[in-house]
Amino acid sequence: MSLRIGVVGAGGFGRAIALASARHGHDVVVWSRKDRELPDPIRMSTDIGVVEDCELIFVAVPARHAVSTAEQLGEVVDGRHLIIHVSRGLIGAELKTVTQVIRDKTVCRRIGALAGPLAADALAEGRPSGAILGTGFPELTEMARDALGGGELRIYDTPDVVGVELASATVGFLMVVLAYAQEIGAEPSTLAVLATRGMVEVSRVGQTLGAKEATFMGLAGLGDLIAAVAGDQRPEFQLGRALAQGAKLSNARGKVGAYVEGIDVARHMMEHARRLGLDTPISSTFVALSEGRINPDDAIQALMERHVGKE
Amino acid sequence: MLKRFLSERPLRLPHFKPYVPRPSDPSIFWFNSERDDIVSEVVKRICAAHESDRARLEMALNDAAFHEIRRLEKQRDQEARDRLGYWRSMIRRIGKMDDTEQRRVLHTIVTNMTRDVAGNFDPRVYRFARRAVPRMVGGIMEPRRLMAPAPEALGRVLKVQGDLEHLRYLQNEGSLVFVPTHSSNLDSIVLSQALEISGLPPTVYGAGKNLFTNPIISFFMHNLGAYRVDRRIRVSLYKDILKLYSQVMIERGYHSLFFPGGTRSRSGMIERRLKLGLLGSGVEAFSTNRVRRVDRPVWFVPTTINYALVLEAETLIKDWLMDEGEARYIIEDDEFSQIDRWFAFFRKIVGMRGACIIRFGEPIDPFGNRVGDRGQSLTPSGREIDAGGYVERRGKPVLDPARDGAYTRELGEVLAKRYERETVLMSTQVVAHVLFRDLVQSTPGMDLFARQRLRGEIGLDCETLCQELGEARDRLRELEDQGRVRTSDVIKGDTPRELLERALSIWNGYHNSTAARLEGDRIVIGDPSLLLYYQNRLVPFAEAIASPDQLQAACEIENLGVHR
Repeated sequence: MSLRIGVVGAGGFGRAIALASARHGHDVVVWSRKDRELPDPIRMSTDIGVVEDCELIFVAVPARHAVSTAEQLGEVVDGRHLIIHVSRGLIGAELKTVTQVIRDKTVCRRIGALAGPLAADALAEGRPSGAILGTGFPELTEMARDALGGGELRIYDTPDVVGVELASATVGFLMVVLAYAQEIGAEPSTLAVLATRGMVEVSRVGQTLGAKEATFMGLAGLGDLIAAVAGDQRPEFQLGRALAQGAKLSNARGKVGAYVEGIDVARHMMEHARRLGLDTPISSTFVALSEGRINPDDAIQALMERHVGKE
Repeated sequence: MLKRFLSERPLRLPHFKPYVPRPSDPSIFWFNSERDDIVSEVVKRICAAHESDRARLEMALNDAAFHEIRRLEKQRDQEARDRLGYWRSMIRRIGKMDDTEQRRVLHTIVTNMTRDVAGNFDPRVYRFARRAVPRMVGGIMEPRRLMAPAPEALGRVLKVQGDLEHLRYLQNEGSLVFVPTHSSNLDSIVLSQALEISGLPPTVYGAGKNLFTNPIISFFMHNLGAYRVDRRIRVSLYKDILKLYSQVMIERGYHSLFFPGGTRSRSGMIERRLKLGLLGSGVEAFSTNRVRRVDRPVWFVPTTINYALVLEAETLIKDWLMDEGEARYIIEDDEFSQIDRWFAFFRKIVGMRGACIIRFGEPIDPFGNRVGDRGQSLTPSGREIDAGGYVERRGKPVLDPARDGAYTRELGEVLAKRYERETVLMSTQVVAHVLFRDLVQSTPGMDLFARQRLRGEIGLDCETLCQELGEARDRLRELEDQGRVRTSDVIKGDTPRELLERALSIWNGYHNSTAARLEGDRIVIGDPSLLLYYQNRLVPFAEAIASPDQLQAACEIENLGVHR
């Protein structure tokens, strides 16, 4: 049965979702601030009101635009609407998730976060892939599978929404760390240690915010990290490499051409961990490194000299 | 024997002439005429949910027998002697029973359990109680004014806050579900009094079976609409019955009350993790009505009960510190069961203006939205929406327990946040917080339990403490301006020195141990655990009211709320 689907945001991911949904025979309308060209039968509008008639709305905007987008959406949606967002970031020092923002700014309650190793081009072209949907509402999973799944995309689900969002955002930071380490010539075993201990570190912090450890070890966390390391051209990797080549953080961001939130997330995460008395050696060291407060040799030495204990 | 008889079968007054409710009577006055119908409805729905699936039915019977045998074997009382044989014989026969026999047994079990849960409402007892309870409590407070026409002492001590006019309007338009914080066994009495003096309706409420062990309290509880919740019973069917009973009552427009914290807050903290079972009954009542095309809204009223002095503080915090909250889920030997402690408590608070503040927060719909003047659900920007949309799928209202379960979890989170906003901080809590923070600051690296042993060992300069108290109060005022919390009039009006002395005089003389005492120009911490109990109310605000040099201690205090 055909669904009426709204897509908010016409960037890479928004476009891919619109193409995948239309391919599965759904009635799709895309909202964007600027007019964009999209293939038929996808409709395009710059009026947010177009999503009012939709049953399912995908929000595909960067996390830093989540607040303003949610405010606009809040004026047109109500309890009937189901929302799935694909943003991979957290907002502000309180590490607020995009789901929380949508919940605060709109009256929608049936919200989910789609994450994992899902790449926009694979989704757009219908290549086999997988993703994870964090939601407490099973009907949302069913609808997401109807909209995007088919035989091409395996959408798993978990009720640990906050876990999916935190894993997705913090793994972005670990991608920067790994790319940096790779660029300065770290051994594969060093990369493995950084990746696994980094996952432990971010999941420890995530658990204090209500996330489950298992979610970090699933598609939203480890799965996404493996996809990035396997060669998925993520901007986080480009940022890590640029930093390792000596670029300043602001310049490196400019070079990448996309706003990578990993370092900001790590900074806020460190602050949160400090308040709770938790240790975050990898995040702290890398943030200091990216800000030019220490050099790579000191960073490696600082990490290697730490007390080593049980896994 | 008599006590057990009364607690198992609470007394009802004989009816010589049946009471015919007037249209202006609150909904609960209709309860007795609907009671049998409600019981049958609950039995019908529970049985229907199990009968269609033999495996489920057999599992339910096995679960009931297993848990009841286990409970009764532990109890070893008269009830065990009466019932153990039935359950043992049943568990042996379940596998051999045919479908008809299994259904018959299920029906019997469910009917018996539902009848045990269902309460009674007697308008005569209600009218007597609304006159007698304030007088009795007022009399304990001021014996010489026992015969006075109005119990002034109670009016002085109990203050009610909130938009009462709004709630009075809503009571005629839908079902109100009061969901208060829970600190003391006095809560239900205090709250029913607050509803009465505010012109709000009496409610149906679930009361722990331990409250029915006292024949007098049992009589009142049973005849004022309370349904019995026996927390010792672990049977899944029983939990389903409790939830469904509450749901059917809400569906039918009975105003309800339950404590989502489940049990009294052992730590004294504002509840953060709420039990969702009964909360979900309100959400499911709304969706069931919508599916049946009945437009009867359900509104939740987050309510905080704020005491300057808590009757059972010492037992509760001891229990929390022993980390035996689960093991002693039902405490039967605390101050609530000691009549001399009641007298000491009421005599202590008689002179205290606003010793207990009940605050009825802004009502919310089952999906956490604000509610307008006429009961309409509103968006954050004030746009009116139809709450029925939340239970629709592809344009039609549908039943979906998984969806309603998710809504309930979200509602629990909203309520926990509302509790913080609607908490009214009392003088004892703020003074305890500043004292406890100083204790934490002066004992770096020490754990919570080691600090409890520092009785009479830490002395603080009184002048410095008063200065810190003044600063904390100023910061609390800022938080109040931002709508994050509220403070009592006493906190607003007293000087820091007066606040300190007031708190000391409230604690000392009632609690068995001395929380803190003045020695010349120093204040000595007597019982850190009492301070911990009272200060725990400020855990969510510790960091926001600390100065930079107190920040580390404040973080440590705030973490108490994260780890527990």
